Amino acid sequence: MALPRILITASGAVCAAGMDAEAILRAVLDGRSAIGPITQWDTTGWPVRIAGEVADLNPRALVEDRKLHKLIRRTDLFGLYAAGRAIEASGLPAWRETQEAAEAAITSDRTGVYAGSGGGNYQNQYDYLPLMTAAGGDLREFGRQLPDTVNPMWLLRTLPNNVLGHIGIRHGLKGPNACITNHSVGGTMAVIEAFEALRQGEADRAVAVGHDAPIEPQMVLYYRAVGLIASKALRPFDACHDGSLFGEGAGALMLETEVSAKARGAPVIGEVLGAGFASEGEGLLAIRGDGDGVARAVRAALADAGLIPADVGMVVAHGNGTPQSDASEAAALRCVFGNAMPPVTAFKWAFGHLIAAAGILDAVLALAALKQRVVPGIATLDQIAPNCAGLQVSATLRAPRSDVALVICRGFAGTNAALLLRAP
Amino acid sequence: MTPPSPRRRVAVTGLGLVTPVGNDVEGTWSALLAGRSGGRGISLFDASGFSVRIAAEVKDFRDDERIERRLLKHTMRAHRFALVAAEQALADAGIRPTEATAERWGCTVGAGMMTSEYPDLAELHAHSAPEGEVQAGRLLTDPSANDPMIFCRSNANAGLALLTRRHGIRGYATSVHTACASGGQAVGTGLKLIRRGVVDRVLAGGFDSMISPVGLAGFCLLSAVSADNDDPQHASRPFDATRNGFLLGEGAGFLVLEEWESARARGARIYAELAGDGNSLSSYRITDSPPDGDGPIQAMRAALADARATPADVDYLNAHGTSTGMNDRSESAATRAVFGDEVRRLLVSSTKSSMGHLIAAAGAVEAAVCALAIQRGEMPVNANYRVPDPDCDLNLVLGEARRQRVRMAMSNSFGFGGSNSCVVMRHPELVDGGPVASRS
Repeated sequence: MALPRILITASGAVCAAGMDAEAILRAVLDGRSAIGPITQWDTTGWPVRIAGEVADLNPRALVEDRKLHKLIRRTDLFGLYAAGRAIEASGLPAWRETQEAAEAAITSDRTGVYAGSGGGNYQNQYDYLPLMTAAGGDLREFGRQLPDTVNPMWLLRTLPNNVLGHIGIRHGLKGPNACITNHSVGGTMAVIEAFEALRQGEADRAVAVGHDAPIEPQMVLYYRAVGLIASKALRPFDACHDGSLFGEGAGALMLETEVSAKARGAPVIGEVLGAGFASEGEGLLAIRGDGDGVARAVRAALADAGLIPADVGMVVAHGNGTPQSDASEAAALRCVFGNAMPPVTAFKWAFGHLIAAAGILDAVLALAALKQRVVPGIATLDQIAPNCAGLQVSATLRAPRSDVALVICRGFAGTNAALLLRAP
Repeated sequence: MTPPSPRRRVAVTGLGLVTPVGNDVEGTWSALLAGRSGGRGISLFDASGFSVRIAAEVKDFRDDERIERRLLKHTMRAHRFALVAAEQALADAGIRPTEATAERWGCTVGAGMMTSEYPDLAELHAHSAPEGEVQAGRLLTDPSANDPMIFCRSNANAGLALLTRRHGIRGYATSVHTACASGGQAVGTGLKLIRRGVVDRVLAGGFDSMISPVGLAGFCLLSAVSADNDDPQHASRPFDATRNGFLLGEGAGFLVLEEWESARARGARIYAELAGDGNSLSSYRITDSPPDGDGPIQAMRAALADARATPADVDYLNAHGTSTGMNDRSESAATRAVFGDEVRRLLVSSTKSSMGHLIAAAGAVEAAVCALAIQRGEMPVNANYRVPDPDCDLNLVLGEARRQRVRMAMSNSFGFGGSNSCVVMRHPELVDGGPVASRS
């Protein structure tokens, strides 16, 4: 039985470089990096002082409902904003309003929500620090003074699945769902799981969203301690690449079966052609030098889509700027594409690494780039690293060789995901 | 016999459990049959000042000697439960990933809240926030804020990393969190992966431990946990009119899932077919589903449809049954709506009455309970039930465990955030007439 085609009917995005896909892509094409000084705490004397922060964050501009702000965190604001934009832009709510009540209820039940979430921030627990001071290290006192000191909604504010739950409530979506807390591949896996749920007939459409806000003091120190933070700039595949930098924000895609999209005359901005996933099983931080997991994920995606390497028009690489990841990713791409290497780019240099949101934001931007028939350059690329030789990377704009983009995403635990997308 | 299907079927061939009532499958099962409660006064920390001072702790836990010491350095309490339960499940299944099969194995886990453990927070408090506010400058020299080991333990997919590394799993690997529905969704994801054909075998499960000052505090602040401090053994009484909150548990449950034909071909002991998965969002309130059961209803119906079954086929429901006012009422309404007249026949119990609520592990542990109910023809008791609640008029397994052939069993798991997970298991004889796993 042939699987149904899965179309993309809208996107949403927010990061340091802008509040929608077009604005972010414009910044990328202009070679403007949105990475700048961290403002969320005083970084005087800090070894890491830059990241891609969403500047002058105005919670109400992201999520209008002021009551909701008491129940969510910074990361949730991003996720709810991007998902909300995708849902509205898809025209689904307006279309549902034209339906009879019984039909509208079916529409809600047949619409899924898939979230990729960063999981927990260390700051979440800081709400207990005043109580710990008051208790003077005595847990009995900690327990006694708890009700008077800590916000009763504390647990609900810190749920990793808040975006999932609140999207459902706010937009009346009640279908199959997941919240994937799988480090950097979470957002991409939200797309994969939504794609598969639609192909298998579990739902007719689903919003996929990835969101994260990793820029917090303790997180920055830990990433630095394990050697993953860049000294000056995020320079994917460059000879001077020496680490990554954090970004924050969210990306979202509305996926829909072809039948459903046509039935309601939805706009179509792309298609998911295939997906692949592989893990390396070497531990939390270890990755294989030969890029085995990336290569297997890409090959699985190609097989799933029924494509050959020569069909791929551009690659949006994970390109996180750490030497180990860049080199192994390059090895994998050489292995898969051989002499048929398409133009390769990466976006993280422009707004940082959004961790759980990174891969889905890359997918959103890949569609925007395909629409304009451009492969944006990597502005921080000066000279390609010797161990990344053979990658068709460039500091300047090129044209894709087809309307198909391969988007690669990697995360801790040796996880690797690949998406194949087509723009109309 | 169900009609032949081109769809790949999934067998449950191995189980592992670490729960408050037993540190393996046999120990847990005998306690659940007898309705022995794991509730006690909290011993893991001084809870004497808390409004709730009881929980269902895992007792006399020992790390399996097979688990490498160097891995244990990277673990939090819940990860150690996971490593042991996963080891049990793989040993029970009699099959493990090899170099040749590693890429065809998946791993799906429901992981608990990701955050550092209380002693680490206390260290950070002492060094960097003695006045109650973190002073960023002090963090620079704070040992706990610069310790890679703490980072590795507390990462969102740390548990997944430990499991895939230890067992050499190199296929699809995912970590999910939908609060109390996490474990059920992890098992359901495993089913879908095998059906989709991206892997042939999956190590699926859940693990959690929130019995810590911060974990307990979160639930105390919401008044979600029973404060029957003088009677912890009876604090969890799902569907009883006097229920007043859940009993916080901890632990892990793992299942080995295998593509049916390959499991039969190698002569595996099959507990049950993992036949269907359904999930939905209640989209009502973050903490509850509505009194009429909307949300859970769709998940249960979807699971039955996915299993190509009807309510008449199901003999046992392992309820979510948290012992909170709203859950048990909503779940009862949903069960009535889904099962119609069959609800009088359907036997129901919540094993949270004995082992408490294992949060992100609950759905996986309870899926394992359903597999055991089918294999053994026994249904655990809904313990501590005394006062009927007209809103919860289900056919509960009361007094003692029920011995009866179980053709199909259903497990519900509903989470904060509104995610509802339902998985359905089927007796192996009803799939292909082949033998059910013998009791080892």
